[in-house]
Amino acid sequence: MSSAPAQTVPAPSIVVIDDDPAMRLSCRKILDKSGYRVETFEDGASGLEGVERLKPDLVIVDLKMPGISGLEVISRVLEADPSAVIVVITGYATIDTAVEAMKAGAYDFLPKPFSPDELRIIVQRGLERRRLMLEARRQELERELLRRRFVTFVSHQLQTPLAAVHQYLNVLRQLEDDSEGAARRREWYERCLKRVEEMLALIRNWLTLSAIEGQCLAQQRVPVDLNSIVASVLEECRALAEPEGIRLEARPAPEGCLCLGDPVCLRVLVENLVSNAIKYNRPGGRVEVAVQPVDGELELSVSDTGLGIPKQYQPFLFDEFFRVRQPGAAGKPGAGLGLAIVKRIVAELGGRIEVSSEPGQGSTFRVRLPAAPSGVPGVASECAEHRSDPSLWPVPSREAESRSR
Amino acid sequence: MAGNTTVLIIDDDDDFRTAVRALLESRGFTVVEAASGQEGLALLTECRPDLILLDVMMECSTEGYGVNQAIKWREEYRDFRHIPIVMVSSIQESPDQLFPMAGEVDMIRPDFYVTKPLDIPAFLATVQKALESASHHRSQPG
Repeated sequence: MSSAPAQTVPAPSIVVIDDDPAMRLSCRKILDKSGYRVETFEDGASGLEGVERLKPDLVIVDLKMPGISGLEVISRVLEADPSAVIVVITGYATIDTAVEAMKAGAYDFLPKPFSPDELRIIVQRGLERRRLMLEARRQELERELLRRRFVTFVSHQLQTPLAAVHQYLNVLRQLEDDSEGAARRREWYERCLKRVEEMLALIRNWLTLSAIEGQCLAQQRVPVDLNSIVASVLEECRALAEPEGIRLEARPAPEGCLCLGDPVCLRVLVENLVSNAIKYNRPGGRVEVAVQPVDGELELSVSDTGLGIPKQYQPFLFDEFFRVRQPGAAGKPGAGLGLAIVKRIVAELGGRIEVSSEPGQGSTFRVRLPAAPSGVPGVASECAEHRSDPSLWPVPSREAESRSR
Repeated sequence: MAGNTTVLIIDDDDDFRTAVRALLESRGFTVVEAASGQEGLALLTECRPDLILLDVMMECSTEGYGVNQAIKWREEYRDFRHIPIVMVSSIQESPDQLFPMAGEVDMIRPDFYVTKPLDIPAFLATVQKALESASHHRSQPG
């Protein structure tokens, strides 16, 4: 987030509402000296008007005033701005009312008489509280925006193929069943199937993402033989690669080099990287998948000889629904969830991922994963320490959500 | 009726174009396809369409609005300004909800509006109406 330079940030503004002229004067003097912008009002009605006009960072209000009471001021101010921070001034005799004020949503209270320092401290605390409230609200809005964007994108991604299939079926019903019609019907059925598969894949990916998010996936930490996962994924992907004349090659790690993780997740990870390497390759290209021990970790690298990823797109590569727009990439099926899934899995398993790419020559994705300690099968508690980076999660976990409340 | 009438379909979805093309051809229209807004604009001179079917959301952006606006307002497309545009969107909302600015900014309101998947009789009626409105406009001086 960009923040304005310090000198242009206006001083915090404070509204004081008190019917006692001496109290208004002393509050103003003390707070003025601390560099705050202060406005004072002599009763609830003018005070509320001032709050509405000035939108102050802090409201200080006397509880016992003629006319509109302090309590009512509190509830009206909070009604207009739930993030408003209100400090109540009260005499010792009316401490019960102060409690009531706190219940009504006041942030703190200051019993009379108070020293200038007491006022300054409580104001500082109140302003800090205000800052946190605004920050929390900003974050909430941002999350809400992400959530809405996610829903919009998924809906559009599902609606588009669904509309296409519907359109085919609907037009088929309208067209004459001539000799040309039979061939067309067959072709359109094939196309419909493809679109339906596209939707199924999207839903599968979406479910995978929410499974990782809901912490139902990547739960296990067991020694896993990446070599065998790579071998079986390559076998599975051969059908995808062969029509394009793409060669698939594996360079396995020395026997006994295991990584620590969840076998199901690791398979999804390898599948996503390999299928991307095939999808964005050139006809007759090559995909190489290597596993090797590096610096006490295990490195999985997937290289292709494809389009490459222009530098300006690389930072967004792992974002949900991000798809590189370049000639040759258009028309490739996919919703842009594959690499987002990869990133989540890697983070969840306590690893990291980086990409290097040369447009026109190809890309290499390198994943570092924790190695399993040799000869100690099935033990893996240290991974819990590097839990995933919360910034990777567009929808907040329940834990984070309750924290912000 | 549709004899010699050319429809330009601008839509990034191959399958949508294929289905609508077959439908329109079966009704005697000539169909030209463009897979992007850019391609569609580039084809205008060559194919001189009588009607444009324009998708709002292409490549996940509202490129269709830009194309609509370019044809209706940009000087370089003044020869094509009279061509009726039928906008297509998969969003099931009324044009008034979709184009809240339309009252203020005239340029983004589409001439005609249909939603995906197309309801075929309603779509064909809209195409008919659009073509009639254009011939009506052209017969007026100015």
